Amino acid sequence: MRLSSRQRALLGFSLLMGLLVVALISYKAYDLGSDFSWETVKNTTDWQSVLLVNVLIGISVTLLILELKWDALRVLLTVVVALLFGYLMTAVFSLDAADDLIRGDFRVQVLSDAPSAVDLSYEQDVTADFDPAAGEARYHFAGSEGDEVTILAYATDAEAGLDVQVSLLDSGGEVLETANEASRRFTRQYSDYLTGETDAVIDGFALPANGTYTILVEPEAGTDPVAAELGVALFSDAAPALDLLYNGPAVGDVFNKENADNPVTEARYTFAGSEGDAITVLAYVLRSNVAADLKVALLDADGNTLVQNSDASREQVETYSAELKSTKDAIIEAFILPADGVYTVYTQPEPLTTGTRLSETFKTTNKAYDAFLLGPLSRLNRWVIWIRDALTLIMLGLAIAIVFRANQFSLGAEGQLYFGALASGVVGLTFGDLPKPILVPVALLSAATAGFLWGLLPGALKAYLGANELVSTLMLNTIAQRFYEMVLTFQLQPPDAGYTASEWIPENGLLPPIIDLNGDTVTVAVYLLIFLVLLTWVLIQRTPIGYEIRMIGANIKFADFGGVNTRRTIMLTMAISGIVAGLAGAHLAMGIHRKLILNISIGLAFEGVVVALLARNNPLVVPFTGLLYAYLRTGSQVMERDTNISAEVVRIIQAVVILLITAEALVTFFRRRRIQRRGTIELDIGDSGDNNGTTGAASGGTLEGAHV
Amino acid sequence: MPIIQATDIVKIYPNGVLANDRAQLSVEKGEIHALVGENGAGKSTLMKILYGIEAPTSGTITLRGQTVHISNPQAAIDMGIGMVHQNFMLVDSFSIAENIALGCESTRNRGLTVDRQQAIRDTEALSQQYGLFVEPTARVDTVPVGMRQRVEILKALHRGAEILILDEPTAVLTPRETQDLFAAVRNLVNEGKTVIFITHKLREVMEISDRVTVMRDARTVDTVHTADTSEAELARMMVGREVFMVVDKPPVDRGKPVLEARSLTYINATGRTLLHNATFTTYEAEILGIAGVEGNGQTELVEVLTGLRAATGGEAFVDGQPVLGYGPRKVREAHVAHIPEDRLTNGVAVMASIGDNLIVDRYYRSPFTRAGILDSAAISTNSGQLIEQFNILAPSGDLPVGSLSGGNMQKVVLARELSSSPRLLIAAQPTRGVDIGAIEYIHQQLVDQRTGGLSILLVSADLQEVMKLSDRIMVMYNGEIVGIFPNTPDLTEEKLGLYMLGAERQPAAEMERFR
Repeated sequence: MRLSSRQRALLGFSLLMGLLVVALISYKAYDLGSDFSWETVKNTTDWQSVLLVNVLIGISVTLLILELKWDALRVLLTVVVALLFGYLMTAVFSLDAADDLIRGDFRVQVLSDAPSAVDLSYEQDVTADFDPAAGEARYHFAGSEGDEVTILAYATDAEAGLDVQVSLLDSGGEVLETANEASRRFTRQYSDYLTGETDAVIDGFALPANGTYTILVEPEAGTDPVAAELGVALFSDAAPALDLLYNGPAVGDVFNKENADNPVTEARYTFAGSEGDAITVLAYVLRSNVAADLKVALLDADGNTLVQNSDASREQVETYSAELKSTKDAIIEAFILPADGVYTVYTQPEPLTTGTRLSETFKTTNKAYDAFLLGPLSRLNRWVIWIRDALTLIMLGLAIAIVFRANQFSLGAEGQLYFGALASGVVGLTFGDLPKPILVPVALLSAATAGFLWGLLPGALKAYLGANELVSTLMLNTIAQRFYEMVLTFQLQPPDAGYTASEWIPENGLLPPIIDLNGDTVTVAVYLLIFLVLLTWVLIQRTPIGYEIRMIGANIKFADFGGVNTRRTIMLTMAISGIVAGLAGAHLAMGIHRKLILNISIGLAFEGVVVALLARNNPLVVPFTGLLYAYLRTGSQVMERDTNISAEVVRIIQAVVILLITAEALVTFFRRRRIQRRGTIELDIGDSGDNNGTTGAASGGTLEGAHV
Repeated sequence: MPIIQATDIVKIYPNGVLANDRAQLSVEKGEIHALVGENGAGKSTLMKILYGIEAPTSGTITLRGQTVHISNPQAAIDMGIGMVHQNFMLVDSFSIAENIALGCESTRNRGLTVDRQQAIRDTEALSQQYGLFVEPTARVDTVPVGMRQRVEILKALHRGAEILILDEPTAVLTPRETQDLFAAVRNLVNEGKTVIFITHKLREVMEISDRVTVMRDARTVDTVHTADTSEAELARMMVGREVFMVVDKPPVDRGKPVLEARSLTYINATGRTLLHNATFTTYEAEILGIAGVEGNGQTELVEVLTGLRAATGGEAFVDGQPVLGYGPRKVREAHVAHIPEDRLTNGVAVMASIGDNLIVDRYYRSPFTRAGILDSAAISTNSGQLIEQFNILAPSGDLPVGSLSGGNMQKVVLARELSSSPRLLIAAQPTRGVDIGAIEYIHQQLVDQRTGGLSILLVSADLQEVMKLSDRIMVMYNGEIVGIFPNTPDLTEEKLGLYMLGAERQPAAEMERFR
């Protein structure tokens, strides 16, 4: 065969693209990115078969370009535009991605080497050895006006002979209250602390003002200071005036908790400090997977901001590695307090700017799309799922392409698939002890027969009763699916099974795997598919019945005129399409699920429609579009698993693809209409004019139906 | 000053077809101006632009000296431009008066009901004024084609048309009706109207028009006074070369009978008898032409004979073999070829390749199918040969037929049908919608095949074509054969016209002589 230079260029280009795709996919599938060596390839499970499948993918690319030429670009553009649209939709779904930056558990801490301005807070007790040389012990606490406080001072050992007196002093050193004994009532009530009457209790004293107070404990006047262990306890029903102590426990909450009625958007915590104290304030998220970005400020008692910061340096993160999780946390380091008093630590998530919102949205979208577009190649088992799904989709695409070529809008593939799956499954389950070389062909044959018959039915209805094939096939699909469910539920489901599924199909009834990745298999269906693609092509392009199918698709009146038995051909076309769809069902049962399950196909055949339409109903292009579509499906599953984006985005992409193909069909429709018009413009003699334009358009419509 | 003038009109369709290339048209008030040109010469486009259906890419239209912009047909009507389309735009189930009033009807009861009486009075008045006879109360679908056309003209006049564009008005008329129309047109001009008359029939141009503008290849060739020109000169201007509209048709003795049709009857689903008792015979080496106004049973006759339609009664034999009731394939296997009347409906599949179109009747036989597999080499050899043999302008048989011009599409049909080694060729409207060059070619082919022994049944709406080619002429009216005549020089169009209109009917005995 001699080729023109153009044809040679096309052939060369398509082969090049095919090789490129083989190289790219193999690179990812064998994970050569981590270690580019022959060993990596050879260590991959069933590496020869993986290579074979990759080469087949490359061939499908070559065929796409050879068959569709410039149209291939349109197929790809259609998908690219749909993907772009999907990207935008994903971005819309991710508009709240930035909310993660203001959401989550956080903690605040104040650290200092200085002695704490307060050493007690409500509902707390301290014990320390009493130093007789000093003759007194002082404790400090912060209180609010009106707090009723109860103070206990006691010797932990009654035998030590320390008789104590306790005084409450305000911040000016003025004695507000003094007590030197504990009545019997108190010793009973605070038996955990008090040991005898020598202890002292100030009971229910209402504080006169906000501020720090001092508890002064001395030996009772007239008694000797004795070395002993001294305890002081402070009780109040009021809320503690201070939340934080130097080096004390971290406090915190949850910012912008999801679905909260009054979400916390900011938080304030108080502590008491003394002039000259060098303090470090930390505000950080509780766990490293919380994305919130915090800022922190230090306010004085009047609420003036003394210092604030929104980030931490890398060194600071390392220094405070127990607390700080990332530089997004906030720190105020080594701040010298200007005066004694109560300070407030104020923290909030950094407010979101529109820029942040957008960049977060696209960051999330990019991450999702990264998973979506590269996911199927990221691990070999995902690659296997991709190939496996593609096999089913390609078979369905072929089935649809056959009927669409004849301009029959039959959607019966779904029902034929169910019957195919059922037939092969029942054969496999029933004759499990037959040898594999017999059982597998018999099961496949019965699936093909089931599909054939379930296609013949709507074909006959259309050809001889004029029943619209779209309506009849949709109805028959429902019947097939319910019948399948009935047989599955009442005949095949083992009585003790918890869910509706048959037993596992015995090994002899399964398609032998060529790649087995711990149970995820690609089976010999690959070879069956090569055969089916070639057979479908030969059928359509190289047989008389294929000629009839094409002519019926192009102009059924012309076929009638030429003597084609259009009824018989329509019926046969739908039945032949059923064979392929039935085999797709067998592949689901014998190759993928290995048993019959409920909902074995959820609208798979309709995805086959997209595959066929994208391929312009060309059987040699269907493998490419099937692979492409299955890739998107697998990618969407990866995306759903790895990110928050739902796989529904792929539905949107699918819808856009269909819309675009329809629009494209409209373009061709109008172009056809113009051809028709041109025909009729030349029909000036006998019949021109506008009426004719309309009939031209109408017949153009029927001609074009094959594409829609 | 011309009443309407189109200057430098350029029209490029979105698909890049240049339909008008600086076309000029200047029409004086009160004249009958003929616009002639081959199909695709751009005359329809020019008229569509004048009537506001298409917008010109560039160029100006002046109406009574003022530049106007005609954006849609309503604007054209408001400016006093009326158009009578070739395919009538009438509501079949309405009365004539209602059709005329439609869209500008007088109303009663505050616009709630139509004043039918007023419509009838208006119609009668108009009819009187312009001498265009119609029956105001008759339903459109019950009146003859000629009257429907008059309704269309009245409709335009009712809307105040001063300039009337008639698009191929005579195509559907018998000679008698044509004369009536011409009388009415002259009357209109006398009443001060202006008529633009689109046609491709040069004889009519000579007869009716005052001036004639000739278009070719999207351009205006010239505008001449009819009195100063001749048919031959016009034809040369139209085609751009000398045209011999004469067919070389040697006398030949007819041979054995080929098709014997007896009492063919077809009654459609609604019970109308569309074909009644048609009995005739065709012979080897003879063209039997069927004359008749379109819609008088010719289509049904052809479709019944070719198996596309099941006959209600009667029988037909080709070389003694029955062919009725077995479907198209059986008919074709009896060596009957068929050129269908509308090639776009069933003559070709425009989306399929030329090669595929050429084998629709024989794809299943050797050499195209061997051992159940199509032989693509045989298909392309076949298309290559036929493209060459029939002068089809196509670089390759792989192209879709839709990329060809009408004439070349028809040659594809002709090539397929004549290459099927037929005994009988049923040719329905074989030259419809093809250019003059192709008409010449097709006519010569048909005659040559007949001289070579083929039996041809020719159906044409063009009476001249039938008379030029046929050896015998059969006239159909209302589904019946009303006369069969040998095509002798004394057989005139006028005589046939009387039979075509049903005014005359041949006595049975005489018909039997020529059957």
